[in-house]
Amino acid sequence: MRVSKWSERFFGTPLPDPVVMVSFLFPLLYLIAFLVIPVIVMLGTAFKYNGHLSLYWFKSIFGSSYYFNPLHPQGSFVTLTTYNGQEVYYFSGLDFGVVLNSIIVSISVMILTTILGTTFAFIMARYDFPGKNIMRILLFIPLLVTPFVNVVVVQKMFLPNGLINWIFYQHLHILPKPIWIDGLVGVVIAQTITYYPIVYLNAYASFINIDPSLEEQAENLGSRGFHLFRTVTFPLALPGIAAGAVLVGIFSLEDLAAPIVFQGSAIAKKLMSYQIYSSFVSGFAIGNPQMAALALVMLTIALIMFLAIRWYVGMKQYAMLSKGGRWKPRVAKPKWWQALLIAFVAVPMLLITIFPQIGVILLAFSKSWYGTWPTGFTLDNMKALITQPDVERVILNSLLYSSVAIVIIILLSLTASYASGRFKKAKLAPVLDSLATIPIAVPGIVIAMSYFFFFSTVPPFKGTILDPTNLIQFFPGAALILAYSIRRLPFAARSIAAGIQQVHVSLEEAAMNLGAGRWKALTSILLPLISLNLLGGAMLSFVYCMSETSVGITLGSINSTWYPITAKMRELIMSAVGSANLAAALGVFLMLVQITAIVLANVITKQRYSFIGLT
Amino acid sequence: MVDVKLENIVKTFDGTTALKGISLHIKHRELFTLLGPSGCGKSTTLRIIAGLDYPDSGHIYFGDEEVTYLPSYQRGAVLVFQNYALWPHMTVFDNVAYGLKLKKLPKEEIRRKVEWALELVKLKGFENRYPTQLSGGQQQRVAIARALVVEPKVLLLDEPLSNLDAKLRLEMRSEIRRIQRELGITVIYVTHDQEEAMAISDRIAVMNVGTVEQVGTPKEIYESPRTEFVASFMGKTNVIPAKVVDRQGDRVTVEFESFRLDGLHYSGDSDKVVLVIRPERIKLKPGENTVSLEGKVDLIEYYGFFTEVVGIFGETRLIARTISDREVANLRPTQPVTFYIDRDDIIVLPKQL
Ligand SMILES: Nc1ncnc2c1ncn2[C@@H]1O[C@H](COP(=O)(O)OP(=O)(O)OP(=O)(O)O)[C@@H](O)[C@H]1O
Ligand SMILES: [Mg+2]
Repeated sequence: MRVSKWSERFFGTPLPDPVVMVSFLFPLLYLIAFLVIPVIVMLGTAFKYNGHLSLYWFKSIFGSSYYFNPLHPQGSFVTLTTYNGQEVYYFSGLDFGVVLNSIIVSISVMILTTILGTTFAFIMARYDFPGKNIMRILLFIPLLVTPFVNVVVVQKMFLPNGLINWIFYQHLHILPKPIWIDGLVGVVIAQTITYYPIVYLNAYASFINIDPSLEEQAENLGSRGFHLFRTVTFPLALPGIAAGAVLVGIFSLEDLAAPIVFQGSAIAKKLMSYQIYSSFVSGFAIGNPQMAALALVMLTIALIMFLAIRWYVGMKQYAMLSKGGRWKPRVAKPKWWQALLIAFVAVPMLLITIFPQIGVILLAFSKSWYGTWPTGFTLDNMKALITQPDVERVILNSLLYSSVAIVIIILLSLTASYASGRFKKAKLAPVLDSLATIPIAVPGIVIAMSYFFFFSTVPPFKGTILDPTNLIQFFPGAALILAYSIRRLPFAARSIAAGIQQVHVSLEEAAMNLGAGRWKALTSILLPLISLNLLGGAMLSFVYCMSETSVGITLGSINSTWYPITAKMRELIMSAVGSANLAAALGVFLMLVQITAIVLANVITKQRYSFIGLT
Repeated sequence: MVDVKLENIVKTFDGTTALKGISLHIKHRELFTLLGPSGCGKSTTLRIIAGLDYPDSGHIYFGDEEVTYLPSYQRGAVLVFQNYALWPHMTVFDNVAYGLKLKKLPKEEIRRKVEWALELVKLKGFENRYPTQLSGGQQQRVAIARALVVEPKVLLLDEPLSNLDAKLRLEMRSEIRRIQRELGITVIYVTHDQEEAMAISDRIAVMNVGTVEQVGTPKEIYESPRTEFVASFMGKTNVIPAKVVDRQGDRVTVEFESFRLDGLHYSGDSDKVVLVIRPERIKLKPGENTVSLEGKVDLIEYYGFFTEVVGIFGETRLIARTISDREVANLRPTQPVTFYIDRDDIIVLPKQL
């Protein structure tokens, strides 16, 4: 065999090696075919007007006060209004136009989740107090993802007769008048409660990973208390916290569940994600270039956030690289006033944030929920999961789509992580590495829309089962599986890449040196050594495939026979009174799937369940 | 019959040249050592011989067969990694049996061979342990057994002893020597410890920033270093910059500070030279063919069996190593002292940059 310059350049192996080439080319071509090209094709329309290259659609967005209204915001943040004859404070938020609303909501959610998540993380990482283990378990509850129905519960909590007023107005008399949270403020609150665990987990990991000697040195030099936190602890944990916050910002930007649930208040619809979504489902506007332009604006904001944090975290981590073995994190007993704060501020906050999950369970086991509490205990909703054909059907559909998607995800993340982790000098390695993580920053609704446009117009797919305009043959499952495999890839890829990084390359070299080909070295050495990461990544991805929303309620809702769970849940919460309870039962089912995965992950892999970070 | 030939091997990493055209000829059944300071390219050379990296240019031959671009798994040059690279998910038995299983040998034969190899490295009875349940020295022996059991054409050892304590290192050193002799295999051994290299090798190649400075037996390298670098790398030695002031054939007179030494052997071109003098060759009594240097005692270091006397001659310090006798015991710092050196013990080499 001869060495080849191009093999060395592109694949990092001087001798062309089929295993290595496949490891690069399979994920690369897959991501190009089902992420890059569809998005580019759809976005291409945003720059076309009357057949010419033009910025017309962008001008139409930024020139219209509906989309962009920085100077004369409409409405008011809070008004006094009456609800059932009683005066209440009604919070709905100011309307700065669709684009700015999305940005403001996203930033607000980032700030609130950072405060909440960092506080809990600091308490859990640094203080030792009675009941800490209970708190640890409770903190685990908000991690459970229940699309739509948790927002339904949040909405109920913040109604004038909801739980919050029941506690703070009726019983504790802290509030002068009842409050009613709706509109954009409702979206912010719902997203904050849903997403703060992401910041919590990132911040917790950061606090735990600070080398105690760094803080001890500062203390040794006379720094104490808040000064120590402000000058040493917080700056060291900041990259991790910031990564979590940015992730939350992106999730907020693309979230559809909260705007859909709060759409009773017109202002909640004035968000980029909702606008694109509603143009999509109203059908006639599909392929509307203005929406493509809006999608590009949204994608650009998300990508900027994503790239900025990657750059920042990469830079910081390099700078504070601190070598050392395992250390014992610093844990202290709280002082009396800290204990009071934990008991009377942190714990109640925590209880409020886990209430949505509890509420989903209550909703699932009740007939109706009008006032503060649900009424009429029933098992019917839960029974319907296994007896009502359409409900049963969506569960099976989702299990099917997710299972197939997870096989693809594992193949993609194994090959991609192997290629970019083991052949770092290859020109294709950084490309592949970026492509495999970038789906985090691509809003689901953008993927849904690109797929619609791509599969219905581009030749090899046009007219096949992937073409949504081909009403007779279109099989939503195929499109969903593709979308899941792209959207959830980073979750597994990260876990597997971490595993590969932990296995020293000499272990494979030793095998090859003893006569094993690359394939044999891969299967006999690397795979067994990363099997736990593989399993962990697979379960995490599976869980998030099951609860995928954006594509599920768009492409997935075209044919009710092939609905995934989330499409059904959306349909249920939007339809007749009482169906939300059935949606909640599906939510409970999703929680059970997640708990099972987490317990399995804990038992089998002995790894802590964790969300994705950006590093 | 496996001799290993390297011809003009060049290897660059991201613009820095790790190997600048290395040529070596390692004979059949030889224990050949690559010796040099950290970063000089020893591991890179070894990895290229093992087929784990490929050179940018140059050729490698095993016997008459060119193997330059033969993949590692077809080459039969087995490397024992510096970190041992034992597979943590396999038992000692499975680690050692791995290469044999790849050859699809019958089970019974595999068992027999593994047993033989483990016996060779004195690890019988450890078959069912996992690598993490072994000490560093035991792990290293498993790594050696794993390599030996496949009967490699060439065994490559990359600083195999660097993680061990001093006592174990001595033990393992002679173990390796014994095994190599017993099996009659070609071994290429990498180390940066000159003492280890001297003790174990048939021949040594001294490397310096990507080049081979000298190849020879330990005695040749120690006693007749051909460059200043080799001389100073091989143990404690005196290196004195000097200038050639007179030539008579291949005899020269050199000058440093206010000292003139005549009748030294030198055949180089450059007039800028260094004088290399081994401390044990400096005497405190005159001999037949000696030159003398008069100076003062600077320091006396007592090492038990021998003593080192540091003399100061103008600005130059020289170390003399001598048996600890009564005469030495009487020396005191600042006292005058005369060092005597046989002319043939002064190696004159061109000054390196
Ligand atoms: N994979 C690599 N990428 C970049 N540079 C490398 C790589 N491997 C080696 N080098 C460089 O090549 C030179 C030679 O390295 P090599 O590992 O061969 O040294 P060595 O003699 O084995 O040193 P040591 O005694 O420290 O093990 C060094 O400058 C090193 O930095
Ligand atoms: Mg080395």
